[in-house]
Amino acid sequence: MTRHVIGSIIVLLSILLLPYWIYIPVLFVAIITVPFFWEGMLFALMIEAMYTVKISIFTPLISPLTVSTLILLIILLPIREKIRLHV
Amino acid sequence: MNYLPKNRFKSLYLKRIVVLIVIFVSGAITLSLFGSTIISLVSPLWKAENALSRSLQTGITFFQSQKTLAGENMALKEKLSYLENKIMSLSKDKDERDTLLALLGRRQNSQMLVASVLAHPPQTLYDVIVIDLGSNESVSLGSEVFLPEGAILGRVSEVFGNYAKVKLFSTAQEETNAILERNSVPVTLVGVGAGNFKIMIPRDIEVESGDRILSADVFSYLLAVVEEVSVSSTDSFKEVLARTPVNIFALRFVFVTP
Repeated sequence: MTRHVIGSIIVLLSILLLPYWIYIPVLFVAIITVPFFWEGMLFALMIEAMYTVKISIFTPLISPLTVSTLILLIILLPIREKIRLHV
Repeated sequence: MNYLPKNRFKSLYLKRIVVLIVIFVSGAITLSLFGSTIISLVSPLWKAENALSRSLQTGITFFQSQKTLAGENMALKEKLSYLENKIMSLSKDKDERDTLLALLGRRQNSQMLVASVLAHPPQTLYDVIVIDLGSNESVSLGSEVFLPEGAILGRVSEVFGNYAKVKLFSTAQEETNAILERNSVPVTLVGVGAGNFKIMIPRDIEVESGDRILSADVFSYLLAVVEEVSVSSTDSFKEVLARTPVNIFALRFVFVTP
């Protein structure tokens, strides 16, 4: 839980204050390092809502950033579990 | 029987996937609907950040050595003189053109609003800027956005009450009709991001670094300046790279047509 809170604060601050070439890697690093970091999905959607132009209500659903975040989170689920089982 | 842990793992895995997809879909719809609320919550922080970065720049300048400042002062005086001359020559043509257009019944919208840029690239993705004017100040979808120097920058593509998002012409894959000033050749500017454009033109058309590219409407606003021209001996087209007249990473104010 602590890691989730710390990760969320770091990602949020970097989204609000830093350029995209920092906050996007920070977001992905948080997703990889924090177990089941579902908040990353919300942060990706927040980036879409704040910094990109919405064409329709479904624009965030087809955005490369949000879709890649979802895919990364799903891919990491079995990998993380397998690493834990075999250690 | 050792199937239980495996099944439990599969069940947990599926549950988590469902949770993620639910968050994804519901979050996307919710955040799309409350985009303006998010921006109004965050805007005080952006304003504070802009004010702080300006103060820091002033502070750094104060501590620079006297010699550096004297050199910089000389260079700036020379540049100022050069630009004053350039502006004078431009304004003469502009006055003539404005008079001609007025005679033809086409007048420029002189009532522009000044907007402060709250967020700009590289903080935003895809060459989008957020300004502090919205529908409450009669800014509407498609309103044109200009630099204080007069060059056109983009159009308003999303409007909220007190804020608006502007899509710059340099957004990746954004196509804009334009005119190459040197030969009055119509071209299509293709945005490549970060304030840059690309144009493909036949190799026989003469173009040089520093040439101006103007908007295709009757007012011929400055859109971009040619930076580099590349052509290989076997190609029938040449690639022209252009950029916006100012650094979009340091935008502070823009003008918006209501």
